[in-house]
This record gives sequence, structure tokens and C-alpha cells, in this order.
Amino acid sequence: MSMIYKVSYVVQGGEYPGGIKNQEEKPEVGTLVQIGLMMFEVMEVHDMMPPRDDFQFLHATVKPASHRKN
Amino acid sequence: MELKQILKRVDLFRGLNNAQIDQIASISQEENYDQGVVIFKQGSAGDKMYIVGAGQLEVQVRDSDGTTYAAIYLGEGQIVGEMALIDQGKRSASVMAVENGTTIYSIPNHEFTALCERDTAIGYIMMRNIAQDLSFKLRHRDFDPSGS
Repeated sequence: MSMIYKVSYVVQGGEYPGGIKNQEEKPEVGTLVQIGLMMFEVMEVHDMMPPRDDFQFLHATVKPASHRKN
Repeated sequence: MELKQILKRVDLFRGLNNAQIDQIASISQEENYDQGVVIFKQGSAGDKMYIVGAGQLEVQVRDSDGTTYAAIYLGEGQIVGEMALIDQGKRSASVMAVENGTTIYSIPNHEFTALCERDTAIGYIMMRNIAQDLSFKLRHRDFDPSGS
């Protein structure tokens, strides 16, 4: 089985709740992700804890995608 | 995707072999919800835990002054309702489907507990994994993006 990424998404500023979801691909800076009904852009990704078996555990900080400057 | 394959992709079941996954699948029930449908309410009795198969769930908390707010969104592979399974307490939050076509898998508490007691190897792995999932959720809640 390929690696599964369990990601804790935390929204910058803390005004919008974050989320947790499993993904087949590791999020990277600039990746877009849906949390609730809104889209967010990944700003940072960190390991939360060591991987276990086929699971990797990550924190990602995100900001609303509509705030993108480009 | 077959239920067994879905369950293998949930870290709650990490460490279980194929036969043990089959036993979990045999007590799991697929449920489908549309956007805005409430799956359970805060304060109600907790008789099942749920695994998100597709879509997202919004976890809503009503605080002491009656204000209700969204606390977290849980997507594919996440579990909800496990606290009531552990402590037999009432639901600590309400949960609703975020989008149409949300698929979850429910596991009745009494069947899950009976399985864990009948096969203590499953019981040990599941309780370890539930504890690790609760730890993950605490780390999520306490994460400070500033790094301080």
C-alpha cells in the first residue's frame, strides 16, 4: 500500500476552523486544499510525529486561497 | 472501493491483519448524507462511532453561553464519536455533513466492544490507535502556527 498522509490543517489567524483529512499525496507549499466549503493554500508543512507503518502525520498551515497575491 | 480497502486506509485500523479487518467490516454499516444533515447532536447518547469514507463532516460545539461554532472539519479517513465509545458519556459536539454525497461508516459501540473483548489482540490495537488519534487531535488543536 502506498503512503497515506494524515494532515492537520491549521488556518492562519485562527478565525476559521481547521481540518484533518487523509491524502494520497503529500501537501506542499502552494497546494490548494478544501476545508469545509472554502479553499485554502498551503503555506508550511511540518512533520507532526514520526511515521508509523504506511501513515505519515503532518501539520500544514494554510491561508484562504482568495488571498493569493499572484 | 470495497469496504475492506477503505478500512485499510484508515489509521484507526493500522496494524490489523486481513482477517481482523474482515471482522471490523462485518460490523460496519455504510450511511450516506447530503449537505447540512445532522448525524448526531451534542448532548445525545453516543451509541456509535463513525469513519469518514468520502466528503467532510463539520464538528459543531455549543458553548456554555449558547453560542454554536464550527470547531473542526474531518475528512476522509477520520473518526468521530469515539469519545462516547471510550467513556460512555454524551456527545461532546454535534456533527453534520458538509457536502452532498458524504459517506460514513458507523460501528455500533456494543458490537465494537464485544469484538474487542472476544479478540483482545484487536482490542489492544484498536484502543492504542484510538488513543493515538485523540493525541493527534489534541496536537492539531494546540498547534501554534507562529512556532512559539
